[in-house]
Amino acid sequence: MYKSILLAADGSENSIRAAKETLNFANEDTEITILNITDPADAKNDVLHSSPAESAVHHRKEKLSDVIHIYETNGVPYKIRYEQGAPDETVVSVANNGEFQLVVLGSRGLNSLQEMVMGSVSHKVAKRANIPVMIVK
Amino acid sequence: MLEKFKREWLTDPVTNLMAGLVVALALIPEAIAFSIIAGVNPMVGLYASFLIAVIISIVGGRPAMISAATGAIALLVVPLVKEHGVDYLLAATILMGIIQILLGILKVGKLMKFIPNSVMIGFVNALAIMIFMAQIEHIFGVSIHTYIYVIATLLILYVLPRFFKKVPAPLIALVVLTGIYMIFGSNVGTVGDLGNIEQSLPSFFIPDVPFTMETLMIILPYSVSMAIVGLVESLLTARIVDNATDTFSSKNKESRGQGIANFITGFFGGMGGCAMIGQSVINVRSGATTRLSTFTAGVILMFLIIVLGEWVVQIPMPILAGIMVMVSIGTFDWNSFKYVAKAPRTDAFVMLITVILVLFTSNLAIGVIVGVIFSALFFATKISKVDVTLEDSRNAVTLSFAGQIFFASIDTMISQIEFKQYDKPVQLDFSNAHLWDDSAVDAVDTIVRKFEEKGNTVYIKKLNTDSRKIVKELSQLNEQHLT
Repeated sequence: MYKSILLAADGSENSIRAAKETLNFANEDTEITILNITDPADAKNDVLHSSPAESAVHHRKEKLSDVIHIYETNGVPYKIRYEQGAPDETVVSVANNGEFQLVVLGSRGLNSLQEMVMGSVSHKVAKRANIPVMIVK
Repeated sequence: MLEKFKREWLTDPVTNLMAGLVVALALIPEAIAFSIIAGVNPMVGLYASFLIAVIISIVGGRPAMISAATGAIALLVVPLVKEHGVDYLLAATILMGIIQILLGILKVGKLMKFIPNSVMIGFVNALAIMIFMAQIEHIFGVSIHTYIYVIATLLILYVLPRFFKKVPAPLIALVVLTGIYMIFGSNVGTVGDLGNIEQSLPSFFIPDVPFTMETLMIILPYSVSMAIVGLVESLLTARIVDNATDTFSSKNKESRGQGIANFITGFFGGMGGCAMIGQSVINVRSGATTRLSTFTAGVILMFLIIVLGEWVVQIPMPILAGIMVMVSIGTFDWNSFKYVAKAPRTDAFVMLITVILVLFTSNLAIGVIVGVIFSALFFATKISKVDVTLEDSRNAVTLSFAGQIFFASIDTMISQIEFKQYDKPVQLDFSNAHLWDDSAVDAVDTIVRKFEEKGNTVYIKKLNTDSRKIVKELSQLNEQHLT
C-alpha cells in the first residue's frame, strides 16, 4: 500500500473515476491529498458567468464534493490542497516536491477546448513527474 | 503598515520579478498597437504603459494587477485625436484622471455591483470586436507579404506554445519575424511609418491647448467616457484577479489609484489607460502576487524601449495586427453563444444591445450606461408583479397581496381588485408583500377608501415591520384599520 497519494481533481467525471481507482491502493493508513488547481485563465469566465455573491472557495468545495464523498464513505483519510497556476505545471511541481509516492489523475479534465489547443495535462504530467503516474481512463 | 508593505511588495520577489518581465515583453507590442489604433505616435502608448504601470503599482488597490495603455481607451479617443490632435488627448487624459479620483473619493467602487454580468459580457465582447475591426485595414488589401506575415504570426502565437512556453509567444513572433524582415525586406508597413521612437525617459510638460471653456467642452465628453470605461474595465479586472488569487481588494482605492495614474501620465505625454484583463491574467498565471510584478513590468518596458528603440521602428505592422487578433480572441467571451441561448431572455437582450450600441457609437461608455438602464428597467418590470388573491370565507373576505409594492407595481395591483359591497368585513392580508414607498402607502389608502365607499369594513393584516413603519408615518389610515 502507498503511504501518500496525490490526486489531481477538478470535480469532473474523470476525476471522480480517478478517485474511485485510488481506493484500490489505499487503506486507512494512506493519506490522500486532493489537489485542486484554479487556473487564472479561467477567472474571467468565472467572474462573467457566476453571481458575485458566491465565494470562490465555496464554489470549489462544492465542485469537489463528489470526490470527498468517496473518501468519507470508505474511511480513507484525505486532505485538500488548493493551488493557483497553469494546471500541468502545478501538478508536476506539487508531485515532485517529495511528499508523495504516487500521482493519480483523470485522462481528461473539464475543458476540452483548451486541451485541444494546449495539449493534455495528463500527457505532460506523465512526461515530467519524477514519481509513478497513474492516468485513469 | 510595514507588515503590509512587506507583504505587498517583498513576498516571493524572484517569481514576481520574472512575472513582471514576461508581462513587459507582452506589453510592448500592445502599447504600440493601441497607439496606432488611437492614431498617435507609438511613444504616447509606450510612455503611458510605463507610467501607468509604475504609478498604479504604488497607489493602486489591487496588487499584481497590470494597468497600462489599453484598447478600450484608445478606441474611445480616435475622433478626438483626428479632429484636434494629440495635445487634446493628453489634456483629456488629465481630466479623466481628475474625474476618476473624484469618483474614487465618492466610493464609486460600490456602484460596480449595479453593473450586471450581462452588461459586462457585452462590454468585453464589444471591446474584442472593435479591436479586431481596427486590425482589418492593417491586414486586408495591403500586400501579399502582409498576409504571409499575419499567417506566420498567428501560427507562432497558437502553435508554438504547445511545445515551448518559457518565452511568451508574441515576443518570439516579434523578434523572429522582425529579424526576417530586416534581413530580407518586404513590401509591408512598419511601426516606423507611423512615428518615431524616442529613446529617452518621458518628461514633464503641460499639453499645448488653449485654457478656455471651449477646450473644456471639447475634452469633457471624452474624459467622462474615458473615466467610466477605464473604471469599468479596471474594476472588472480587479474582480478577475481577486477570483484568480482568492483574495480581496479595495475597489475604491483602485478607482482613486487609476485616477492618480492617468492624471500624472497626461503631464508626461502618455495617453489614458486602465487595467488589462489579458495581461493581468498572464501576470497571475506566472505566479505574481505582489505590487513588485506590476512595477517591474513598467520599468522593464521602458528600459527595453530605450535600449532597443531603433529596432522597434522596424517591426512590420502585420505582426502587431496578428498579435492584436490574438488579443481580441482572448478578450471575447466565447461562452456568450451558450449564454444567449440559455440565459433569461432579458439578460441575453441586454448583452446584445450593449454590444450593438457600442458597435454603432464606437463608444464603450454608452454601451455600459444603456445596458445598465435596460437591465434596471427589466428588473423593475420583473419585480413589479403583485398578485392579489381573493378568498371568501365564512366570516370575512380576505384579499392576499404577494410581491413588492412600490410606484411601478401599484397599477397592476389595483387593477386586479374588484371594488364592490361584501356582506362581511374585508381583510387585506400583506403577509407576503412589502410596502416600499410613499406611492405604496397611497395605494393602500386608496384601496381602503374605495372599499369603505362601497360600505365595507376594512382591516389591514400582517404588515411586516418595515411596511408598518412607513404606513404609520405616511398613511391617513388610523389605528383601527391596523390589526
